[in-house]
Amino acid sequence: MSTDTRTGGVPERDPGRLGRLSAAFGRRIVTALIAVTVLFLITPVLVTVGASFAGEWTGVFPTGFFTLEHWRHVLGFADVAGAERALGTFQFQVGTYTVTIPFRSLFFSLVIALGGVLINLLVGVPIAYAVTRYDFFGRGWVNTFAVLPIVPGVILGIAFLRTYPNLPSAIALVIGYSLLKVPYMVLAVQSSFEAMDLRQLEESARSLGASWPRTFFTVIVPNAKTGVIAGSIVCWTLAAAEFNFTYMVYSRGPRPFSIFLYNNITNSPILQTAAAVSIYFLIVAGVTVLLQATGQRGFSVGGGG
Amino acid sequence: MAETVQLKGITKRFDETTAVDDVSLTVEPGETLGVVGPSGCGKTTTLRTVAGFETPTDGEVLFGQEPVTNVPPERRDVGLVFQSYALFDNMTVQGNVEFGLKMRDVPAAERHERSQELLDMLDIGDLGDRDPTTLSGGQQQRVGLARALAIEPRILLLDEPMTGLDAQLKNRLQREIGSLLEELDVTALYVTHDQEEAMVMCDRIAVMNEGVLEQVGDPEEVYAEPANAFVADFIGTSNLLSGSLDDRRLDLGFATLDAEVQRAAHQGKVTATIRPEAFEVSESGAFEATIQESFYLGEHVQVLATLPDGESLTLHLDPRLEYTPGDTISLTVDPEDIHFIDRS
Repeated sequence: MSTDTRTGGVPERDPGRLGRLSAAFGRRIVTALIAVTVLFLITPVLVTVGASFAGEWTGVFPTGFFTLEHWRHVLGFADVAGAERALGTFQFQVGTYTVTIPFRSLFFSLVIALGGVLINLLVGVPIAYAVTRYDFFGRGWVNTFAVLPIVPGVILGIAFLRTYPNLPSAIALVIGYSLLKVPYMVLAVQSSFEAMDLRQLEESARSLGASWPRTFFTVIVPNAKTGVIAGSIVCWTLAAAEFNFTYMVYSRGPRPFSIFLYNNITNSPILQTAAAVSIYFLIVAGVTVLLQATGQRGFSVGGGG
Repeated sequence: MAETVQLKGITKRFDETTAVDDVSLTVEPGETLGVVGPSGCGKTTTLRTVAGFETPTDGEVLFGQEPVTNVPPERRDVGLVFQSYALFDNMTVQGNVEFGLKMRDVPAAERHERSQELLDMLDIGDLGDRDPTTLSGGQQQRVGLARALAIEPRILLLDEPMTGLDAQLKNRLQREIGSLLEELDVTALYVTHDQEEAMVMCDRIAVMNEGVLEQVGDPEEVYAEPANAFVADFIGTSNLLSGSLDDRRLDLGFATLDAEVQRAAHQGKVTATIRPEAFEVSESGAFEATIQESFYLGEHVQVLATLPDGESLTLHLDPRLEYTPGDTISLTVDPEDIHFIDRS
């Protein structure tokens, strides 16, 4: 018998040499491995964000801090050559005032993506509800197709150009984004629905005198609030940054954010690219904080674009 | 005012299976009728038919004189209480209780007054502003009941409302809810798999098995005079003995007992039910049995014994005596405690 009391009520056994090593160092080794991996992945991001404020980036690390020049360029505050690659501004008249909206590309993409999110809500919430609540013919297929992001953006883009050659860019983008991102909405809302007893909630509300539509909008959807919010945020960000489909379909009108990023990556000086890419990193960081706030820590999505 | 609720020949078939088979039941005004039976016996389907969530394949549901078989659930004025509480987490406790009144366009002030009154009655008057998820199981079930009662339902339907609660809380809630339903004069249908709970809560009990109504009666009647072997076995423990009856003499083969005969039809070959607590140990009893095992259960000792013909017997005997396996005991039964069941 061992005198080791740490095992408590668990039947004691001799763990062997490897087992003892694992008990002593296992946890520390795993922690260290995770730390190294995270560091490896996050270093390029941090270096890039840092570089966007640097004067020079020739070696591994940028030098010559601290300047806001590159940010002025990409945000469209510098009136210099290459201004066509900035986010741009957007002006309109209200009476005698001129309203200037900065960061035009970003603003445009967010609005277009919001249109996509509205369609996602209209389509995704009922699908999530139906596959969770009812057993119907073809339920398995609906479920699979709804959650598989089955069409790559490039393919969908070509199909759109071929089928609707005269569709305005903005409308094509809204429809395309909604198709591409609907799985994320269905998944998020479905996970909320699955956590509740849909049938009993619905029957309680109806027995109390609520019609079916009223039950759906005053009880069922509000109870899935966290899923709806998380799904909307995820769909919104992924759509705003969607490149493949945007690149295929965009022809005229205001320039979407992902095209702005692309133009900077291909044509701008390296430090200006760093500033442009940093905008996206900042958005991702902001969204992560938002998602944490809605309490959907466990929700994960694959890469976008 | 409370009214009668009638089920007339309700049958419900799902594809090939018959969940409820020709069930006719009358819930008297203001009474709590328990529907008990093992899982899958059709008791929940019966309740859902009354609520309007199932349309019977055959038969009719009447509230008072009004047929409601084709009235949708939201226009039936029934109160539903579930095992899972099914509270609306997007509203406060008060919001939950007021929901039904809101659907009926009752003015806010009146809604508030009525919900507060109910919450006070259920002893949770200070929880109105709370979020339902922060309440204990017992408190949540009180909210569920208040919500169902707020609309002054024509019938209150309770589907296993106590099943998720621990024994002590269950006992307390049973007493409180029982007296509240009586005070409010609510007609109620109480579905449970727990026969003891049904006996505590209900004025009458309907026993169901495999979609069929086996017996309806008050708790004493169903317990003491089960209509058949299923009821005898489901409601408590019972000993089934076969023998032949000649006038008032029951011949078991190894012994002859005096018996009270309730129905003239019971003559010749019969099955008798005798409850475990009806037996008594005596110096010179009517028959003998050999003790197999005994379990001390506090208020009585449960003894498993074998009769001379090899059949086994469950007895609840005086806990002050000792019962040694292998010993033989001599037993008597009061003639009034022997009941005969209809053979089907």
